[in-house]
Amino acid sequence: MTATSAKLLKLALPLVKAHGFTREALSLSALSLPTPLANPLPDASVTALFGPGNDACRTLVHAWLDDSRRRMKEEATEKMGMGDVLKARLKSNEPVLEHLPEAFALLASSPLLPLPLLPVDPAPIIKHAAQVSNQACWIARSDAQESSWYTRRATISAIYLAAELHQLTSPKTAPAFLDSLLENAEHAGKALDETALFASYVWKSWRGIVRSSGVLV
Amino acid sequence: MLARCRFLAANALRPSIRTITCRASDFYTDPSKNQELGVSTSPDISPKQREILDRALRVDQAGEIAANWIYRGQFAVLGRDPRVGPLIQEMWDQEKLHLEVMDKLQLQHEVRPTLLSDVAKVTGYALGAATALMGKEAAMACTEAVETVIGEHYDDKFSQLKDFELLPSSHPSIPLLRDVIKEFRDDELEHLDIAVEHHSQRAPAHALLSAVVAGGCKVAIELCKRF
Repeated sequence: MTATSAKLLKLALPLVKAHGFTREALSLSALSLPTPLANPLPDASVTALFGPGNDACRTLVHAWLDDSRRRMKEEATEKMGMGDVLKARLKSNEPVLEHLPEAFALLASSPLLPLPLLPVDPAPIIKHAAQVSNQACWIARSDAQESSWYTRRATISAIYLAAELHQLTSPKTAPAFLDSLLENAEHAGKALDETALFASYVWKSWRGIVRSSGVLV
Repeated sequence: MLARCRFLAANALRPSIRTITCRASDFYTDPSKNQELGVSTSPDISPKQREILDRALRVDQAGEIAANWIYRGQFAVLGRDPRVGPLIQEMWDQEKLHLEVMDKLQLQHEVRPTLLSDVAKVTGYALGAATALMGKEAAMACTEAVETVIGEHYDDKFSQLKDFELLPSSHPSIPLLRDVIKEFRDDELEHLDIAVEHHSQRAPAHALLSAVVAGGCKVAIELCKRF
């Protein structure tokens, strides 16, 4: 990624709202340069800078996702809980909501995957959810350590993905849906913790019984 | 930084204290130093440097987890021994401090912890308990082997500086990290000396035991760098 293409990508991001994740947005980005060009970039230049066909659109999608993650970090304040952080991220989807299904379709139709195996490639979308949840967990400082670090991130990425998919069809109810998912996850987490605690009581009592029976001496 | 510590300490209110050496890890364990730049922020470095820092801290944290559980396993068997029990307890307490500092470093630099932390706990406990069951000298031999590998690992990082040279010293957290690694290296080598003093060399099949334990540690270090 050269400096020029990086700069043009950055300038193309505000144009996504009007033009979608298209080569058109990339070619119009040249008009927003500090010393603007007279005409938008020709198609050959877009191919040279960003790749042929849909590759260019995919680069734009990735750039938009990276930018929204960066904004997540910059706009985070001290008191934000996990719910607030994720809602802010969902809110940043709103300007480009009508173009997002196409963006996800672009991500899923990666040319690297051999068609007979699987028609769609879930990996980039899962990676996107994982990156959002990683950033959210660092911002919200959810004090998970060691193995629970991974389970917490997996849960949050699943919750975020579900909420984002919900937002694509019904944007008004997405925050409430997110809240209900987070609450369910918390309940499930508490239930698991209490089960583990009870199991530890049972284990300790059996250990005490075996010790006092004199079998081990 | 250490000179500043000594300067401040020397000017403390109680004149009867002549010198107080300030350990680098105090910056992480002392709650009053929580807000200092070197402890609460991470430097802005390139992705390659970030990867180096990431791996280094991940391996170090995994090592401290394993060391903690090895001592826990040894203490479970030999804790009641009048000579060796307090020794193991003391070394274990130092490792607990190391782990506390490593956890804080991991959070400060936003490092992914190792996926193998549960494996490290189980194998550490099993190793500690197994060598302790083989006898006091075998337990000391296990400590000797583990501390040799860890001491060398920290020493490589610190003296070769192959990795750390790439990290910028302009941000206060990097010199602090170097000082912490140096302090931990000295602690681990002290444990090694204690183990040798307490007849680790008399352990049955000492060479074989040391080779197996050291080999296992090296494999674990390589795995934790990646996972």
